[in-house]
Amino acid sequence: MTSFGNLLLALGLAGAIASVLALLWGDRLGKKDGERATNVGYLVTFGVAILLTISLGLLLVAFFRNDFTFQYVAENHSTDVSSLAWLFKISAVWAGREGSLLLWAWMLSLFGSWFAYKRLDVTDRLSNMGLMVVNVVQALFFAAMLFSNPNDPFKASPAEWLGPNGQLLISSAMNPLLQHWAMILHPPTLFIGYAGLTLPFALAVAAIIVNDGSRDWVDLIGRETVFAWLFLGMGIGLGAVWAYVVLGWGGYWAWDPVENASLLPWLTGVGLLHSFTVYRRRDGFKKWAISLAGVTFALVILGTFITRSGIVQSVHAFDKDPFSLYLFLFMILGALAVTIGGMLWRGQTFAGHDEFESLTAKEAAYYFNNVLMLVAAILVAYLTVSSALPRFFPGGGQNFSAATYDAVARPVGILYVLILAFCPLLSWRKTEGATLWERVRWPLVSTAILSIPLLAEWYFNLRPIYAAQNPTAPALVSAMHNIEAVVGLVVGAFAISTAIFLFVDGARKRAASRGEGFGTALWQIMSKARSQTGGYITHLGVGIILIGLVGSAMFVRDIKIQVPATPGASAKAGEYTFVFQKVENNTLPNGDQETKAYFAVTRNGKSIGTLTPGQLAYAVQGQTRLNASVVSEPLRDVFVALEGQQNNQLSLNVKINPLIWFTWIGFAILLLGTTVALWPRGAKARELATSESRAGSRSAKANTKAAVG
Amino acid sequence: MNKRARNRLIGVTAIVLLIIGVVLVTTMQSNGAYSKSVDDVLKDKTLVGKRVRVSGSVVPGSWDKGSNPMNFAIKAEKGGEGGVIKVSYKGAAPNTFGDGVVAIVTGTLQSNGQIESSDMITKCPSKYESATGAMTVANLVADKDMGITFTKVTGYVVPDSLVAPGSSERFKISDKPDGSGVTVSVAYAGAVPDGMTAGKKIVVSGKPNKDGTFAAAEVAVDAAQK
Repeated sequence: MTSFGNLLLALGLAGAIASVLALLWGDRLGKKDGERATNVGYLVTFGVAILLTISLGLLLVAFFRNDFTFQYVAENHSTDVSSLAWLFKISAVWAGREGSLLLWAWMLSLFGSWFAYKRLDVTDRLSNMGLMVVNVVQALFFAAMLFSNPNDPFKASPAEWLGPNGQLLISSAMNPLLQHWAMILHPPTLFIGYAGLTLPFALAVAAIIVNDGSRDWVDLIGRETVFAWLFLGMGIGLGAVWAYVVLGWGGYWAWDPVENASLLPWLTGVGLLHSFTVYRRRDGFKKWAISLAGVTFALVILGTFITRSGIVQSVHAFDKDPFSLYLFLFMILGALAVTIGGMLWRGQTFAGHDEFESLTAKEAAYYFNNVLMLVAAILVAYLTVSSALPRFFPGGGQNFSAATYDAVARPVGILYVLILAFCPLLSWRKTEGATLWERVRWPLVSTAILSIPLLAEWYFNLRPIYAAQNPTAPALVSAMHNIEAVVGLVVGAFAISTAIFLFVDGARKRAASRGEGFGTALWQIMSKARSQTGGYITHLGVGIILIGLVGSAMFVRDIKIQVPATPGASAKAGEYTFVFQKVENNTLPNGDQETKAYFAVTRNGKSIGTLTPGQLAYAVQGQTRLNASVVSEPLRDVFVALEGQQNNQLSLNVKINPLIWFTWIGFAILLLGTTVALWPRGAKARELATSESRAGSRSAKANTKAAVG
Repeated sequence: MNKRARNRLIGVTAIVLLIIGVVLVTTMQSNGAYSKSVDDVLKDKTLVGKRVRVSGSVVPGSWDKGSNPMNFAIKAEKGGEGGVIKVSYKGAAPNTFGDGVVAIVTGTLQSNGQIESSDMITKCPSKYESATGAMTVANLVADKDMGITFTKVTGYVVPDSLVAPGSSERFKISDKPDGSGVTVSVAYAGAVPDGMTAGKKIVVSGKPNKDGTFAAAEVAVDAAQK
């Protein structure tokens, strides 16, 4: 059965190549003569998607049947016996290296098919070339699975692994760390993002090939790019949640190479989305859009290059594989060469009409958005791969700890949120001083009001934590840390204030001019101007996230305590008292052994709940996983991991994470805002909007001509 | 774009990049660490005063978890010239720390050859055997007619079954930590590894005897064990 899977992949490769050739040939012959070849290119794209769906189905069925003749099934089947067990049979498909690559290839084929279906009736040159590029990438993914043994999802298990009844003789199974609900969802959401970000790249290359600098290519995939970016963000968030509860160190982001890999395209993706806005509204930022489309795709591939090539050591990187190394390196360099090179070669076509007169222009804010995101992505990428670089590079051969990333990320992040807050208040081209003051007045007042509780929280609760955790820190270092925190909190409050102001002010103005009630006006704005509304909601979320980050990244209280294992015995960690109640040892039907320790937790005498940190010893895998326990208060989380037992004393690692719920809630709001921006309108409304904004960009061009002429 | 705006744009961009660069360079200098082997650190005198990241296995008996800073010694995991590096570590020891455990220590190399560190992670040492690819006890027993010549078996040490070398049955292993279920007697004359206690998961390499016992050539603790 496994060789059938390989056959499907080989057919898929042939299909992708055939599609590329057909589309190129059809383009060469021209619109009329090439129509049949072009149609073949489109139809074969659907065929490739069907082949990949069958391949994935093959693997899925093998997991449900426990068919251990598939080496992948032998190595990745789950041992879970809870009610979620059947879900882990599905998630096993992407639990390992080979399966995750297959999943990604499948999603890419779905995006390709969606695009082909959308443009099948039109088959314009732009769409044809875009589909061609998608199929080139698709072919390379097939090559990755077919020509590299470590990547092959359809390897047959060695004969000695199997008994006469097909049972598995060896003790291999899914890594216990992956038997968690967040790990069911995290890879698929990430791969939807990665696969989806292939389309803006493909259409950017198509625009270069066809030499068309108009907004047409952006209109084709603009919304889909937001969709892909949204899912990438969800994937990153799920990874953070998983790290928090499963890895047992009490944090959600460690600047680990694999974490960084997923963040890089998300960062430049923000620049890409905003460049698309300027492209459509003002006929500008064209070179930015093309280059960021290429850079974002290159970073997507860089991510998988880092995890699969073996160049960087990480707790979750796969073993090294030279074929993957060269293939993905080729894709990264190729993507950059084609987009940036093409953009320079066709410079005139992509010259934008984005002149602006001063730094108080909205365009300036968008510009700094792009610069900061690009610089941030380059820095994180550089620091991640630095250990693989030769010595003569700055930092070459060296590894950098989280402290280095944090030192740069914090000030850049705070500056970024400040710009994000200001941008919607600015006008295109230039904002007059009086106008700016008019718009920023109320947000400043609101910021001052919001800052009062935030600064109180800093002064009374956060500041002492830093002093307690770092008693020997020099006064200057401590002052810098606290200044950074205060600035971060105030900027976060400012971002929240401007977002709220924009809704309130917009609704009031509309209510006044149309004679509507405030509530009606607000609802009308939110439901009609969805991109804008979604954007403001997202910005609001970012402000809240910043506040959460200040607390939970800069003021974590990390305490180790020992509690005697006799009921009623207690130990104190900070202001919290842990009273031991009991230990439960439980053997699950599959032989796993679960240990849970129960503690009643109080703060200053008030009970805040029961914590049950424990460990799960997986019988088959022979691995022990920490099951940390968290109790959330509004302003902080109490996180406890059971480290071990010695001489009738239980060792606990207690981490107090201030304001962490601001981070989670802010992130949820960010995702909500993006979803709102994405929500499709009826066809009629879409037509209306398109003609309105075309008029807008025409007048922008006219204004520019007038200003220059 | 008018000249003034363009110049201001370039100027501000340059200032922002410069500040980021300065912050980056200063933190890189204090936080970057060169990945080096034990031999490199012992021989290369140019590394003194620099931050290094060394991976080595903890020399048995060289440490005391209770003291702070904790002093211990590491040596090369495989090969190398047998040299040993002393480490002075400030902070809580990871709970996997112990004899033979591979520690990745990041710290500053002192002129006396010692590394001062506050950043350490531990990995399972490669001299532990990985259980992947090893048979379970139940399957070994069920398949003894298959004429297996050499294989790995993994299971839990049955409590109270371990005796001194000399008898034909040295210890028993079973698929369950409490020793219930199918068990197999293992004949082994060598030294059992540190950490092999009742209920511990181990990996045994050898071949089954005709009488149903298993003749072990090597016994190791399962690599994933803590």
